[in-house]
Amino acid sequence: MRRPPTLLVLVAVVMLALGETAGALLSPLRPAVERYARARVAANPTAHGLTGSAEYDDEVRNRAVFTAEAGVSFFHTHAGGLAPVILLAGTIVASVVAQPLARGILFGLLTVGSLFPLGYVVYALAALETGRDAGVALAERYVLTPLGTFAILALVGLTVILGRAARASQPAR
Amino acid sequence: MIEPTWRLPPIPVLLVGIVLIACAETGGGAMAQFKLELARWARGTMLARPEVHGLVGVRDVDEQILDEALVKLDGGLRLFHLHAEGMGTIIIVTTMVATSLVVRSTLRRTIVALITVGGAVYPLGYLLWSAVIPYRGIAGGKQLAEWLVWIPFGSAAIIAMWLLAGSIAWQWLDRRSAR
Repeated sequence: MRRPPTLLVLVAVVMLALGETAGALLSPLRPAVERYARARVAANPTAHGLTGSAEYDDEVRNRAVFTAEAGVSFFHTHAGGLAPVILLAGTIVASVVAQPLARGILFGLLTVGSLFPLGYVVYALAALETGRDAGVALAERYVLTPLGTFAILALVGLTVILGRAARASQPAR
Repeated sequence: MIEPTWRLPPIPVLLVGIVLIACAETGGGAMAQFKLELARWARGTMLARPEVHGLVGVRDVDEQILDEALVKLDGGLRLFHLHAEGMGTIIIVTTMVATSLVVRSTLRRTIVALITVGGAVYPLGYLLWSAVIPYRGIAGGKQLAEWLVWIPFGSAAIIAMWLLAGSIAWQWLDRRSAR
């Protein structure tokens, strides 16, 4: 099997390393993450709709912290899962797609698409800075959807090319 | 331009990755198959150690504590299943990348060894946590798993991945500046 370009391999390995490092934030460093999240909510009271009522504000704070932790957790799982998929898809493209233009486009889409999990870092940070719902919407609209679309387009393109190659390799009846 | 081909990592490394994935699959199956037996064993072990779990002898209070411990025990087994499956794949993929792209043999061997050992032992921490919960409680079990397994072996795998990323980045920049 042929290797995809070094840049694609590099981006996938960096995402993997970031994902694994984020895993540490979920366990031994969890108290520090929670402290940071609570401090950011307190620094942005208007965005979170804090009212000064202790009971209500606690509920809002807890939901925002939960969303931030969920963002880190999604980043960990997606980075660990998507990077091997991107490396595998890149290897198939390098080995099977003969046309240089198609290969170049697929490599480009896969490289950019492999950044998709970073959307969950934006999700976690934006939820703390701009409020839970606005932050999640921002991450979905500007990061997760575009980057996810790149990855999906690459996989759909590869599927189409593989389908054609399979049909062409069948003996004529 | 035709890209060069992938090189296979050493066979023992591939074996470790495959065995880990097989353990993950077996663990997932065993978890479902022996759920009742596991819960019964854990419950009995916890009831024999009331002071460890803060059991007070009041049914309403104790049942809540026991339920929480059983949920965490089950969660530990699920996390073993997920992490062993994921790390098995990651061991195979990243050692293949290291074997193919890292030029310096000492660095290559270090990365492959750290990823293989760190990646293979790390998921076992979740098994340890689950096994220890009935004896030491949720927090006590977690602390033991953290210090014995997660921190040392997780750090080894993380350091190896950053070494690999740095090595590939160095090579990529070097090749670009040479053009």
